[in-house]
Amino acid sequence: MREVIKLEHGGGGRLMRELVEEVIVPAYKRNRVEGGIGLPEMDDGATIPLNGHNIVFTTDAYTVKPLFFPGGDIGRLAICGTINDLAVMGATPLALATSIIMEEGLPIEVLKKVVGSMNRALEEVGVPLVAGDTKVMERGKLDELVINASGMGFADRVVTDSGLKPGNKIILTGTIGNHQLSLLSSREGLQFEAPLESDVAPLWGMIKEALNIGGITAMKDPTRGGLSSALNDMSRKSEVDILLWEESIPIKGVVRSATELLGLDPLELANEGISIIGVEEEKAEEVLGAVRRDRYGGDAAIAGTVLKGRGRVILETFVGGKRIVREPLGSPMPRIC
Amino acid sequence: MKRRAIISISGLVQGIGFRPFVYRLAVKRGLKGYVKNLGDAGVEIDVNGEEGELRAFLRDLREEKPSIAIYTKIGVKWLDFSDEYSGFTIDSSDMGKREVKLSIIPPDISICDECLQDLFNPSDRHYLYPFTCCALCGPRFTTMTDIPYDRERTTMSDFPLCLDCSREFYDPLDRRFNAQTICCPENGPSMTLYDPGKAVVEKKNPIKVAAELLEEGLIVAIKGIGGIHLAVKTIEDDPILRLRERRRKANKPFAIMSPGLEEVRRYALVSELEKDLLNSYARPIVVLRKREPFPLSAYISPGLHTVGVMLPYSGINHLLFHYSREPALVMTSANFPGEPMIVSNQEAFKRLNGVADYFLLHNRKIWARCDDSVVKMIDGHPTFLRRSRGYVPMPITLPFSSRIRVVAVGPELTSTASVLKEDKCYLTQHIGDIESPESLAFLQEALRHMMTLLRVDRPEAVACDLHPGFLSRTVASELAEESGAPLIEVQHHHAHLAKLMVENLIEPGKEAVGIVCDGYGYGSDGTPWGGEILVGGYRGFNRVGHLEPQPMPGGDLCAYRYGRMLQGILYGEIPEEELREFLSKNCLKGFSRGEKEVEVVFNQLGKRIYTPMTTSTGRLLDAVSCLLGISYTRTYEGEGAMTLEATAAKGSRRSFRLPLEIEDEGGMLVLKTSQMVRRLLELRSRYGKEDLAYAFQETLAEGLAEMALRVAEDQGLRMIGFTGGVAYNDMMTRVIRERVEKGGCRFLYHQKVPCGDGGISLGQAVVASFRAL
Repeated sequence: MREVIKLEHGGGGRLMRELVEEVIVPAYKRNRVEGGIGLPEMDDGATIPLNGHNIVFTTDAYTVKPLFFPGGDIGRLAICGTINDLAVMGATPLALATSIIMEEGLPIEVLKKVVGSMNRALEEVGVPLVAGDTKVMERGKLDELVINASGMGFADRVVTDSGLKPGNKIILTGTIGNHQLSLLSSREGLQFEAPLESDVAPLWGMIKEALNIGGITAMKDPTRGGLSSALNDMSRKSEVDILLWEESIPIKGVVRSATELLGLDPLELANEGISIIGVEEEKAEEVLGAVRRDRYGGDAAIAGTVLKGRGRVILETFVGGKRIVREPLGSPMPRIC
Repeated sequence: MKRRAIISISGLVQGIGFRPFVYRLAVKRGLKGYVKNLGDAGVEIDVNGEEGELRAFLRDLREEKPSIAIYTKIGVKWLDFSDEYSGFTIDSSDMGKREVKLSIIPPDISICDECLQDLFNPSDRHYLYPFTCCALCGPRFTTMTDIPYDRERTTMSDFPLCLDCSREFYDPLDRRFNAQTICCPENGPSMTLYDPGKAVVEKKNPIKVAAELLEEGLIVAIKGIGGIHLAVKTIEDDPILRLRERRRKANKPFAIMSPGLEEVRRYALVSELEKDLLNSYARPIVVLRKREPFPLSAYISPGLHTVGVMLPYSGINHLLFHYSREPALVMTSANFPGEPMIVSNQEAFKRLNGVADYFLLHNRKIWARCDDSVVKMIDGHPTFLRRSRGYVPMPITLPFSSRIRVVAVGPELTSTASVLKEDKCYLTQHIGDIESPESLAFLQEALRHMMTLLRVDRPEAVACDLHPGFLSRTVASELAEESGAPLIEVQHHHAHLAKLMVENLIEPGKEAVGIVCDGYGYGSDGTPWGGEILVGGYRGFNRVGHLEPQPMPGGDLCAYRYGRMLQGILYGEIPEEELREFLSKNCLKGFSRGEKEVEVVFNQLGKRIYTPMTTSTGRLLDAVSCLLGISYTRTYEGEGAMTLEATAAKGSRRSFRLPLEIEDEGGMLVLKTSQMVRRLLELRSRYGKEDLAYAFQETLAEGLAEMALRVAEDQGLRMIGFTGGVAYNDMMTRVIRERVEKGGCRFLYHQKVPCGDGGISLGQAVVASFRAL
């Protein structure tokens, strides 16, 4: 392991996973509630078994530059990210708590806009924010504002990211890459041929409908590290291979062409408003239908299938060849000689 | 006086008719005893008789050695005469649990002259039988499932000997005595011609019908020794263009096969050395200079001044030309980009549907896939572009003996793997680009097979590239975990230098200066390297110089669209407006989205959006190729550099000079490349691209040599080597060698393993063998 923390350690790729696996997880002697999902699983949330039911518990920190970007802002991001972490565990969100840390000199108007946005996201799913904290740091010690958010939910039946079985179908609930690319475009002033917005959205409504149909074996949030990272996690933990069909992956033309121009891999771009759903084959179409009826699920598609295997993600390309989708490292890196 | 001698020979002595050879010698001298194969791939001979005859026998063993045989060690133990033998016999293989020592396993050997005579002799029972072979020739490595090399451990075990074959097999005086892969039309494999729907088109005379179809311009998949070729005629453009379209290979040069040297000489220049290579028993593809005008289709190797040619090496090949009037046929490995060559009939029907019009297949399994080898003369020496059929699994002898056994998985593209044991390193066959599940599986298979043949089940070290994302690393991690061995990461260019030193038998402890130039390798600092001056030995290295780092807007996109790299190099060198205008006017083919992409790249360069800085030589040559209007995008690895070289080969030295400046940045030498490219841009309207390409390559080579010489002088070193994929450039190699020798240093170059990444696994294994201790 490298000696200092590098930016890549926060990139949602293999370097981050190894840091957590090697430094953070082993540091805690007690890392789960008996019978529940704990830290070592590195799932989207933890579970606390209680009288035959499950409390689901999650926490996340949010930093983003700029604070306000096309399609959202840091406040909406914090609420949606936490709601979605609960949702993909199969949990009804009950309540959230947040800490906001601000840089000295931040206009109060900015804070007002952020909390207003947080409120609107909470209202969408009808979840209360029940506790909070604020801190201020000296000018220059922090970049404007960061948020930590924790959430608690309730689940009769927990859905993990490790339950995929051969034959399952993989549903993507929306187009990929929008969030990270829209951030990049607003941060760097890049102009694309069509306007692009972040997909940041709370998905509990959609996932609730999908869960009602049944047959769901695994779910995950493809945030940092994108689809590549999330699918590699799922296939590794489920001990299966995932075959993705490139032509079935929902992606906007503007995202595809922008990544082709910038040299980025759309599969590695972060998303904040889509989810990966593994579902039994018989239920796949029905679940897809339910997802599509949701306001955030119109572009959903069955984009892959689960095969017997040992933890690989394989992409069947447009031309019919197969290539292995690697777990991202944390930042893009050349490899062609 | 009568005495007894127990002789043990190791080397390449199994699977090449060696025991019958020994038998004949022993019988000639009236000696009694036996000869037998050992499980370690050596042989043991026990001979009893008059001492004079025994000594004569030993002399015969050396002097009359079959041309393919290699002795690495002969041990003789003299004992008292034993009268326990009534004659001389060939003992069947001893699989006993004796100590396993290193020996050599035979490669595939092209059909010999005597078998060729049988093939075309109407009264021989092998007449027109494509699988004819004998103890001296035929497939070996591709059929072997394990050692010792005996029929039951080859894919010929599916074909029991018939009476006639059996008679030859057991007749010690027959050419086919104890030849493991012999067969005939009675018992052996057979060929069938199918249509894409798997329906049998011809079973009686399939090769003849296939030859006719080829003459009509159709594409035929032909299963051979180590895999399946796609064949098509070469005198017309359309069939080749059809093959290119169906295989999605726009410009990649196709290898061709001609029936004989005479035909080859009509379209290519063949030197004496090249003639010997073409005729050698390995029968590699030899990259020859085209005749101008080139009488065959220009689409065989578009934009190149060379063409890869091989001569027939199997009965199938010979029969194809026997029935055909074609002067040459394309014979290209049937594979898709990033995937290994197809070897099974089933896979051929599935994957080549829509590619091949007909399928000429046989019913013998191919155990070890093995692509054709490729050799090119560089600066007067034969150099491997690909070391595979005919050479594998013969080892590279090391200048030391390792106390541990090492397995190395190679890099990611045009790869091989290696197993290092004692004083030898065994490279696997060509594995290719490891990007698909199929190629990853092939890497695992090939490596495991080599480990089985060498009886290395638990290596004491496993080596891989330093790149954290190469897929080969996953194979290495698994092996390391399984055997409890340390995983040792070897920097890409250090592996290049180590492989160069080791094949030149440089002793451990010595250091050399390496000019290591290629497209890309993950540097020790994480940045993309590729134009490096290193000082080092087997254990470690220092980076002491490199090309000027250049921006790579969009990372690997630059490897595919040369315009981006050129834009990066000239960005800041000339006014933005001028650069924009130049690119729009001349280089838009080097982008995929025209002017819009140029604007995005300006944005990326200005804001440093995914724009790593690289010292790559390959990317620099790509950019120059684009600047001079030679090639714009990559459709195969090395295309930019190869087409630039082809253009430079038609140029010569003129009166202008390009600026050659080496800066010393705190002990690190940096060759300034931006100003070279800028000057080229200025001269572009006044000189032909041939002379400009010539000048650029020459100046770059001079600059690299100059840096290396300065370092050598500073550090008192006497050896300078040139390696990496750029070392395939004939002219640059020559210029560097001349400078190095003029500077009083010894020049190291490759002859035994590829300059490029095909040899990396050797370097990895060697470095790991030192580091693990």
